Amino acid sequence: MSVLAAEWLKVRSIRSSHLIVGIGLGSVLLAAGLAWMAIGMYEDASPSMRRSARIAELEEVVVIVPQLCLGILGLVSWTSDRVLQTSLTIVPRRWPVLMSKAAVAGGLGLVVGAVTVFGTFFLSRGMLAGRYPVSGFAESWPILVPTSISVAVFAVLGVGLGVIMRSTAGAVAVLVGLVYVIPMIGGNLPEPWSERLGSVMMGALPREIAGASLASSVYGELLSPVAAALVLAAYALLPLLAGAWLLRRRDA
Amino acid sequence: MRAVLASEWLKLRSVGSTGYAVGAAALTIVLGIVWTLYVVSLADARGSIRAAAPEEGFLPLVQVSLAVLGVLAITSEQADGMLRTSLAAVPRRGRLLFAKAAVVGGVTLAASAAVLIATYTISRLIAGDRALGFNDIGLLDGLPTVLASALSVAVLALVGLGLGAATRSTAAGIFSVVSLLFVLPSVAAYLPAPWNTRVASIMLPNLVPQIAGDRLSRRLGDGVLPPWAALLVLIAYGAAALLAGYLVLRRRDA
Amino acid sequence: MIELRQLTKRYGDTLAVDELSFRVEPGHVTGFLGPNGAGKSTSMRLVLGLDAPTSGQALVNGGRYADLRRPLHEVGALLDAGAVHPGRSAYNHLMCLALSNDIGARRVAQVLELVGLSGVARKKAGGFSLGMKQRLGIAAALLGDPGVLMFDEPVNGLDPDGVRWIRGLMRGLAEEGRTVLLSSHLMSEMALTADRIVIVGRGRLVADATVAELTAGYPSLEEAYMALTASSVEYGAAR
Ligand SMILES: Nc1ncnc2c1ncn2[C@@H]1O[C@H](COP(=O)(O)OP(=O)(O)OP(=O)(O)O)[C@@H](O)[C@H]1O
Ligand SMILES: [Mg+2]
Repeated sequence: MSVLAAEWLKVRSIRSSHLIVGIGLGSVLLAAGLAWMAIGMYEDASPSMRRSARIAELEEVVVIVPQLCLGILGLVSWTSDRVLQTSLTIVPRRWPVLMSKAAVAGGLGLVVGAVTVFGTFFLSRGMLAGRYPVSGFAESWPILVPTSISVAVFAVLGVGLGVIMRSTAGAVAVLVGLVYVIPMIGGNLPEPWSERLGSVMMGALPREIAGASLASSVYGELLSPVAAALVLAAYALLPLLAGAWLLRRRDA
Repeated sequence: MRAVLASEWLKLRSVGSTGYAVGAAALTIVLGIVWTLYVVSLADARGSIRAAAPEEGFLPLVQVSLAVLGVLAITSEQADGMLRTSLAAVPRRGRLLFAKAAVVGGVTLAASAAVLIATYTISRLIAGDRALGFNDIGLLDGLPTVLASALSVAVLALVGLGLGAATRSTAAGIFSVVSLLFVLPSVAAYLPAPWNTRVASIMLPNLVPQIAGDRLSRRLGDGVLPPWAALLVLIAYGAAALLAGYLVLRRRDA
Repeated sequence: MIELRQLTKRYGDTLAVDELSFRVEPGHVTGFLGPNGAGKSTSMRLVLGLDAPTSGQALVNGGRYADLRRPLHEVGALLDAGAVHPGRSAYNHLMCLALSNDIGARRVAQVLELVGLSGVARKKAGGFSLGMKQRLGIAAALLGDPGVLMFDEPVNGLDPDGVRWIRGLMRGLAEEGRTVLLSSHLMSEMALTADRIVIVGRGRLVADATVAELTAGYPSLEEAYMALTASSVEYGAAR
């Protein structure tokens, strides 16, 4: 418990983590800006164009910002922890430290995820309603919840990658690779591989969990809700466990 | 200046991360070969096929790897304190940054051009006269696009260097580059038409097709910039990031 | 020669260096003393132009450091021994610095030999012990055979043999007519190495005298230092 408290203090007392969390929360403003532009376009449009006006779910568009931010927060909490050496003399075993970092990052991710996703939902729906066709809360919450959780998944994934890669640059590069590069490459694959790969990409999982239809052509929708939830959990847990195992191997 | 260039060139050569970054970028050649062999086998089974070109499909890998190289060229020195020693040896900060930019720009341009041209040529050779979609224009006709891609990778590495100097942190530097490369373009693509195309036209990754006179994507259609303007915007990205880095480097205590 | 004129440096609301003026003359070792946080390292960074002074001037050989064309030939400094890329070899680390100032590979080999690191020149600096890193930092300071040298706590982490070696090195450099500024917290060692002493406290000048003058009124340099800095210790243990 004291290890957990120490890790929480570490995150809280570093200025860069305030900045990272701030940028993550700032995605709500980004969404508001997009909604504002969309309203401007609607006002300028002809009546027939207005009837066909469509807009994407903004919380799903901007959630990549807190995801990336929290992922970086998670991995930096490991790779740039200069006192890791010192804290190891206080806490002789590394893996409570690792689990505490994961818990702190995951908890923070959950809060930031919920605030940004739900915040964006209510703000953008409030702004857009009456102009664009928008979905209501009752039909949307099954997507909003896993989308929020995905931010926490990124945070824990970041911690895992930090341990595995041991370098900030390497870990950020792999994180970016997982989130952007592989889906982009996967989208170019011929069927059926494009859809198969697209279905296990992080961006596809929230909608698969909710059993909703596809948001973006890059992704697939082959997984059942339960399978999608398991894949989402695997994104967080597999790198973390691999990291814990590597820690034990690297030095006793 | 030549002395500082030689020093920066050795700095870049003598750390492991440079090798990893270039190696990751060079992985594109291997992936491109695997990709082409796979597509060829599909084409042999189905007759013809429309597949993406490997040097385009795997371009993000080259972009990310070499942008990280650019960021690290300055932030690794800031992280370990070497920057102070470097500035004691070269007190003119603009000169130091300029030498870094020249070396990073040259190395990433050479590396990306080599990787992309190799991927491009090998895949066309493997494809032979099968119709795979990406090889329906002559071997030489596709080269300008490949060279524009290579140039964009070098600019991206310079953007990384500039933003690394401006943010003074590896994580923040890479985050900034990734924002320019992936986050903002993907957000822009969700704007209602025609704004999605207009905003997307000035996004970094969309400048290459505009320089080469291609469309942005099936959904976004043609960009709004003529080739020369797209080239100018590309250069402006690099220049603006380096300027921001210079201003921070010059004013802040090391 | 190093000269500080009314040098002042403020970080936010901390006044790190406060109207500090003194000169470091060639031909002898000048010890730079003061409690933790007194402003010694900051003064050295200001001399090297790494930090910009809030007001006042720091001059080397009568000019600003930033105006030097190939500064390693005039000033050598060891500020932080840990400031090396962990993945770069000792040889390449020095070579990077040497190239930027038109210094050849022969000189790099020479200074490596001088500090006793020839055997590990191709090893990664990240694996070096504290004492080995100090030696690498000293080698870097000596690269350009400069007339002005500054060392910030170079004996930290050195073995007894190394401490004695540094003492000889510093005195030798000064005897050759160079300007040597050396900070340290080891009073007995300083008494053996330095001829002159500059003491700062809370960023201000406390004393600027020869070792002989300081020890005249006190049993030892340590006693003199204790008495002079009694009122300027900021981070002392509770008694
Ligand atoms: N970059 C900085 N930002 C903020 N404050 C700083 C910075 N550098 C130094 N200081 C502050 O300036 C004061 C002087 O620090 P300095 O490192 O110069 O002391 P010092 O005499 O070298 O101490 P020590 O003997 O412990 O090495 C301290 O209060 C320190 O906290
Ligand atoms: Mg100090």
